[in-house]
Order: sequence, then C-alpha cells, then structure tokens
Amino acid sequence: MKRAGQSTETPQVGRSVPRLESWLKVTGRAEYVHNLRLPGMLYGKICRSTVAHGRIKRIDVAAAQAVGGVYRVVTGEDIRKLIPEPYYGPAFHDQPVLALEKVRYVGEPVAVVLAADPHVAEEAAHLVVAEYEELPAVYDEVEAVSSKAIVHDALKPAGTFPDLKHLKGKTNTNVALDFRLRRGDPDTAMGKAERVFEHRFRTQQVMHTPLEPLVSVAESTDSSITIHTASQSPSFVRIEIARLLGWPENRVRVRVPFLGGGFGAKLYIKLEALVSVLSLLTRKPVKISLTMEEQFFTITKHASTFRIKSAVTQDGRIVARECEVWWNGGAYADIGPRVTQKSGFTAPGPYDIDNVRIDSYALYTNLPPAGALRGFGIPQLVWAYESHTDMIARELGIDPIEFRRRNLLREGRPQATGTRMKDAALEKVLERVAALMNWNDAFDRGGGTLRRGRGIALGFKACIANTTSLAAVNVNADGSCTVYTSCVDMGQASDTAMAQIAAEVLRIPTEAVTVVHSDTDVTPFDMATLGSRSLFHSGNAVKLAAEDAIGKIDQLRQELHLPADAPIADVFKKKYGMRAGSVMGAGNFIPPYTPPDENGQTDNATPFWMVGATGVEVEVDTETGRVRLTRLVNVADVGAPINPRIVETQLSGAAIMQLGFSLFEKMQFDADGQLRNASFAEYKIPGFHDLPGEIVNEAVVAQQSTGPFGGKGVGETGTFGVSPAIANAIHDAVGVRLTSLPMNPEAVFNAISIKSGRE
Amino acid sequence: MTPFELAEPGTLAQAVSLLDAENARPLSGGTALMLMMKAGVLRPARLVSLRKLGLDGIRVDGELRIGAMTSLRELERSAQVKAGWPVITRALRTLSNVRVRNVATVGGALAHADPHMDLPPLLAALGAQVTIAGPRGERRLAVEALYAGYLENTLARDELITQVTIPSMGKTRAAYLKCTTRSADDWPAVGIAVAIDGDEVRVVLGAATDKPVRLAAAERLLKGRAADPKALDEAAEAAAEEASIEGDSHGSAAYKKQLVRVYLKRTVHEARRAIH
Repeated sequence: MKRAGQSTETPQVGRSVPRLESWLKVTGRAEYVHNLRLPGMLYGKICRSTVAHGRIKRIDVAAAQAVGGVYRVVTGEDIRKLIPEPYYGPAFHDQPVLALEKVRYVGEPVAVVLAADPHVAEEAAHLVVAEYEELPAVYDEVEAVSSKAIVHDALKPAGTFPDLKHLKGKTNTNVALDFRLRRGDPDTAMGKAERVFEHRFRTQQVMHTPLEPLVSVAESTDSSITIHTASQSPSFVRIEIARLLGWPENRVRVRVPFLGGGFGAKLYIKLEALVSVLSLLTRKPVKISLTMEEQFFTITKHASTFRIKSAVTQDGRIVARECEVWWNGGAYADIGPRVTQKSGFTAPGPYDIDNVRIDSYALYTNLPPAGALRGFGIPQLVWAYESHTDMIARELGIDPIEFRRRNLLREGRPQATGTRMKDAALEKVLERVAALMNWNDAFDRGGGTLRRGRGIALGFKACIANTTSLAAVNVNADGSCTVYTSCVDMGQASDTAMAQIAAEVLRIPTEAVTVVHSDTDVTPFDMATLGSRSLFHSGNAVKLAAEDAIGKIDQLRQELHLPADAPIADVFKKKYGMRAGSVMGAGNFIPPYTPPDENGQTDNATPFWMVGATGVEVEVDTETGRVRLTRLVNVADVGAPINPRIVETQLSGAAIMQLGFSLFEKMQFDADGQLRNASFAEYKIPGFHDLPGEIVNEAVVAQQSTGPFGGKGVGETGTFGVSPAIANAIHDAVGVRLTSLPMNPEAVFNAISIKSGRE
Repeated sequence: MTPFELAEPGTLAQAVSLLDAENARPLSGGTALMLMMKAGVLRPARLVSLRKLGLDGIRVDGELRIGAMTSLRELERSAQVKAGWPVITRALRTLSNVRVRNVATVGGALAHADPHMDLPPLLAALGAQVTIAGPRGERRLAVEALYAGYLENTLARDELITQVTIPSMGKTRAAYLKCTTRSADDWPAVGIAVAIDGDEVRVVLGAATDKPVRLAAAERLLKGRAADPKALDEAAEAAAEEASIEGDSHGSAAYKKQLVRVYLKRTVHEARRAIH
C-alpha cells in the first residue's frame, strides 16, 4: 500500500507495528475458548428443528436420556422453570433460549443433550424425537409483507431502541421495523423529470464462516456465573444474562480471549444464554462448541430486495430518488432492525439529491436468523445503487465516473438525513480509484471467447450511533503500561492499535504496552466490537485514559521537581523511595448524536463516515460465463492510518470476503426451507486460487478530525464496492446486466445467451 | 463420530478377513472417510487400516505400476510418471489441495467412487486396470468397470485394490480438463479426459454424471477426425446428448450440458497439443 513516510512527531502512531500477539498465534499459545476444559465439564449437543414452521406437539427425550453416559437432556420447558420468560435479543425479546411452543426455522435449537463425552452427547442427540404440527411458512422477504404465514404471534420490542416502541404487541405482521425517510418533494420531482430509471436488485443469504465456530463455556455457583465465550460483545452479554436471570450485573462475569474471526457472527447473545442456563440447571461447567455446519443455523447475512428509482435530467443530474428495501431477517430479529434503519438512511448512495424517499423494512421469515455481517447492510445497498448508477450513466451516454462526479455529495453538503458531510473524502476516493484504474487510458477488451471489461463502484457508511466505550490505562512503576478495554481482538489487530494509541500519548514504545482482554470483572464497559466502531470509539477512550494518566504523571514530575522528560520509572522511584505504585487513567468516550425525527431527519446522524471504492478488471469466458478478476483496486478513506500494514490487510481481506459473496457463495434452500448446502464441501468460500491477479490497496491522505490521531474504522470499508464494480465490469465486457447475486458462471452464461438470442 | 475399532493388519490375508464383517471399512488416506464419518453418513464399527500392508510404491517396466497406498503427492512428484505419463502429473496439480494430496492415496481415490474425483476418468481414458485382492485371490479389472453408481464401486466388501497398472502412453496424447462453478478449489461440475491414439479417441466424462462414463457416440464421431472442427462440433453435441446429466448445486442440467460441449472441445484441443 502507498503510505506517507513515518512521522517523527508521532513515533508510535502511523507505524506498521507488527501485531503484538503474532508470536503467540504462530506458536499455538494464544488463548481461545475452543481449548478451554474445566474439571467436571459437560459437553452440550444441540438437537435442531426439522421443520421450518410448526407447533411443537411433543419432544420425546427418553431414548436419548437412556444412552449410557448421558447426564441430562434439556428442553425449552425445563428452562422455563429457571427463567419464566426465557427470550432474548438486542432489538426484540423474541428468541427463546430453546424453542418454546413453536419452531420458526429448520435448524432452530429444540433440545440439548449433556454428557461428559462430546461423542456420547452427539450420538444421543440423534435420538431426541420431536413432533410438530406444521404451519404455513414464508421465505421470501417481499412475500413476508403480505403473507398469511405469520412468524411471531405478537411483536416484543426489547425497549432498547425508541424507533421500535410503536411495534409493541403488534399482531398479524412480519414487519419488524418500517423505517422511513422523507426529504424534499420526491413526487413532484419524479413527475417533472426528464428521464426516470427504475431497477430492482436482489442479494442472497450467506454466512460469515469464521474459522473458529461459535463456542461458549459457563461455570456457575448459586450466586455467580462466569461465561468464557468467543463474543464480540462481552458487555452486552453480561447485561442480557443479568436481565434474564434477574441478577445484578456484578454477579455475571464474561471473559473473552482471542477470537478466530467474528465478522458480526459473534455479537449479542448466541450460545451464552444456553450454556448459562445449562450450567445453572446441572451445577456443572457446560461447554457448547458449534460445528462449522451448525453456524449456518445460527446467524447469517440478510438476503434483500431493493427497488430503486431515480429522476435524472438529460445532462445527468439526479434530482430525485426513491428507495424501497426489504431485508430478510429470518425467524429472529437479532440486530436486523438496526441494519434496516442504520443502513437504510444511506440507501440513496453518496450523491447530492434534493428529493428523497426511503422505505426500509425488516421482515421476519422462516429462515435462519440474519444479523450483522461486515458492512451491516451497506454491501447490499451499494450493490443496488452503484449498479443503478452505472446503468443510468451508460443509458445517458455519460462516462460512469464523470456521472458520479456530477452528482457526488461534496464536503459540507447535506446527506439524505440532512446531516452535512464532514471528513468524508468521497471526491478523493473517487478520483484515486479512477487514477489507479488508468480510467482514461486505452483498455484491452480481449477477443474471441475471452472478453475483458472494467468497472468501479463507490460506497459510504455511517458509523453506528449512539454508542459508548470506556477504557482504563495503568502505568506501572517501571514505566510499562497495561490497557484495559472490552474491545475484542478478533483478528483485526485491535490490541496492537490500542497499544499504539496509548504508547503515543505516554511517549513510550508500543512494545511496552500490553492489552488486557475483555473480562467484565476487570475491563470497563464497551458497547461492542462491531461496525468498524472500535478504532474510533475504543481508540478515543484509550487515548483519553492515557491522557488522564500522563496528566497525573506530569503533575507528579512537577511536584517532585523532576524535569518534564524524566523517565516514568524515575518518577515512581522518587515518589515512593523504591519501585512501587502505579498511576491509573480513565477514559469515557461518547460522541455527540441527534436521533432522527419521524422523517429520518437529523443534524448529526453519525460520529464519522467511512468511504470505500472498488475498481475491477475482469475476463469473461463467453462460452461458460466464468468471470475471472485480473485486477482489484481498493481505495478508502480511513482517516489517518494508525497502522498502515494492518489497514492494508483489512481492505484486501474485506474485499476478498465480498468477492465470495459476489461470485458464488449462496445458502441454497429447498421449497420446505431446508438448507441444502450446510457444509464447506457444498458452500464454497474464496481460496487462494480465486484471488485476483493483482490487488492494489490505497488509503487516501485524510484526517478524521474527531478520531484518535486522525484515525477511524476500516474493517468493513473494503466490502462496499466489490459486487457492483464486478457487475459493471461484466456489463462493460459482454453487455449483459446482472441484478441478482451471486453472479455465478451459470447466471452470466444465461444472460449472455438471452442477449445473443435477442440480437 | 461414533467410537470404532481400528485394526492394523500386517498382511493382505488378514486385512481381507478383517473386512469380512458387518460394518467394517478399509481405511487408506482417510480424507473422504473421516468427513463422511463426522457427518454421520458412515458409522463403521471397525476400520481396517491398509498402512502396514506394504502397498505403496511406484514401478515402471514399460507399464506404470502404482501401489494402492501410494500418496497422490508421491505420484505427483514422481520423475518417472512425469516423463512417461505427464498428463497424470498435470492433473494432480489441481486435484484438491496439497494437504489432501499428502495424505490421500491412489487406491482410495479410485475406490471412493465419488464421480467428482479427477483420477477415475483420466485413468479410465488411459486404459488403466486395477488389481483386486479378495478371499479367492487376485483379479484384474478395467478402471472403467470399477463403478456402479454414485459412491458405489463394484468391489465386494472384502475386496481391496492393491495396485493400478497403466499401459505405456506410446504415441497416445491425452488431456484432462475440469471446470468448477463456485470457488476454484470446488469439486468440478464437469471433468473430461481425452486420449488420442492414432485414429482412436477415448473420451471419459466425470463429475457431471453419477459415475465416470465413456462417451461412445462422441468417440465414434471423433474417430480419425479429432482435428476436424465440424466433427468436433458434432461430437460436442453428441456428448451433451448421450450423457445422463441432472442438475445439482453445481448447476442446472442444461448448463452442465453446455459445459460438456465446451470442455469436450477444449480437452480434445488440449490433448492434440499435448507433448508426448
């Protein structure tokens, strides 16, 4: 990646410090929950629903219970004896710890077999027999709006989010949120428009596939519980478990070591409530480790349908845009309603449009639940609006980059919410992707059965609000430093970034800093590690904590008549007469935010904007429809990179992940809602041979004025533009337009066949 | 996975007798077997390891003789194979991945009978034979005749493949091409092996059908005319017509027939260009 020379003013920040934990990881010593074994521990194996929607008639556990070595078989009704209302969820309290009365998707947990030997638990789990009275089911997000099949009898908002309160107790609906935004007068503008374009786009349901599947262990006494879990949100887990049990938060301890990838799969509650309840019921430690296959039945990415309509002047100015988005949330809301709203308000794209109408719907269906997946809905939206943008530009005969330039949302201009753009380098990112693609140069278009094309796409994202991060920094008597944060390092190298920030403030080397992993008995509250928020939020909290500590140390230097640059160890030695003591700094960060009004309008929608653009060059085999990327260009505004090397791997990693979602990943369901490809043999993710011939990553020169040392989040940015850039390049190569993901060879071949049939 | 007994016999006779039991299975590399056991598809009570039978090794005496327990990686790296049967070396480079090739064996790859595997169609096109040991001694069988259907071979439960014999290539030119429709390392949607020996052309299709099959109609049309574009077009149509292809997660039947057309032509071209 291109990067500026290392600054001497900030010797720690802006340096590609090797990851602090890399040695532990390559020598197999890094701590993961997967490796945890406690004395007397039971292993749980989940039995899952075989029907998509049904009333539970009976669950017969006798045969499973009779297997030698089985400790106990637990069903939803057993849990009710401990917790009368065992429902959880961040947006709705809709998900039972184990199914109660009804099942709502194939694969829903119905019972758990516990045994000291995991193989015994697995064998016995096959013997649990559940009978259902099948109910009509709904799978499609658009059909779910008017379907007679109703997934939940009554809606139960959690009370956390004000925009869900009006849904409380609502019956006979699958709509878990109807977000609306109105700006200007879209009807009049559409009516008077010179040209109107309307298109419809689809995305498919896919899965996160973290290399470490979900895993949790709980150990309990009568008055306390400790949960060791691979979670991105330990603070939320504590709050939710305390709420379910009716216990004070300080009796629930949540520990999170390293994660083997998260991508949004390990947020909120997944297995934590289940292992907690099982531990309390059995008075033994209980572990549940999902298999890779079981993850498909736990959390996924929303399939979606997006209808987008634009009014455009003949010379290529977009004057109005209508967006209608349906999000397929599956059987339980998880964080889907937040995806619907948070992503919803950027649905018109990074363009300056006076008249906007957005309707964004979260739908319940009888499929596995959908939640956050690296982009929080943004890749689904950018897929539609950047395909649409290219289609309009080509129809009007305007160069696609020039068309974007004419409509770009410039610094200081209001976005659809009315919030004015600030520190969003849209213009720079667009111009850099054009330059790195050599857009104005001649391009080899191939020939025969191998045609070449190129395309770009530009996306943006608002960071989740309103969220808090706290941190503490302890400076030890020898001048080394310990950072306490509940930010979770799931492979994105947040430990290293937080250490760099603390070290910069304390004027010590990054290598002198250690980071204590999330432990709610030890580390302070942090909303969650999600949505690219942590570098900004936790990073600001760590910076504040380190500033607090260094302020106290500077004060000591004065009091002790030491020079301003006296080594920290000397300060402690002089104060205590020997090596003793420590100085603790605290940081509490919450950025300003204004909630939107009933039209989705607010003067402060987000703490910061993320901007990402993708350019691709492709080769299309016209006889098979196979698409090969020969070049992939990722350009982003990440503010000032704290660690340039890690920024680069985040950009390329995100883009490669989205490449799989663009070209071939797809959860395939049959007519009864059964998943046909819940394995790595049949659900393929990109491997080394799928990588583009050349990958270019660039962070534009930028500053996030409110970020720690000018930095902001990067984890998701590389995903934004990949799918539409590929679709635009395929169109450029062979003149066919794909509007549904994935763009697998058969879809491309069929589109080519239809086109050549027409000609 | 259920607990099982692991037997490690030191002689073929012991192995054959240990296999003559309900729910006993031979274990060679185990790469496919373990996945099937983890998925609960197979639940054997006894696994009979073939590791101590001395069945590995590559010998060339005009013919190529490969011990059934030879790893795919050994075969891939054999200088003798590369010199005499380069099409095998080329095919192995994209067979699964190096971790699997290090462990999976030639005998296992042939006996498993998953139609998506690369070696069965290729070795069938090269006229390979397997030596099979059983309670009544040895027999030989063409690789082409080894398959009964999807995951079904024609071996009795107490029979084992001990060796594969591949005739000298002579002037035969051969190629194997495959096509994946998801990731590059996916199981193929179509795999085609072509061997051209003078006027005779052998064509074996894998992956798209429930077992590897000779495409007789395509072979007839190509006989003596492999260089004729018209014959090639006709053979491609005939191949798509004669193969019994059903849609699956790799693609619809119509699309896979298209892949058969395209890859038949590409494989014939590749075979004609092959250096040998």
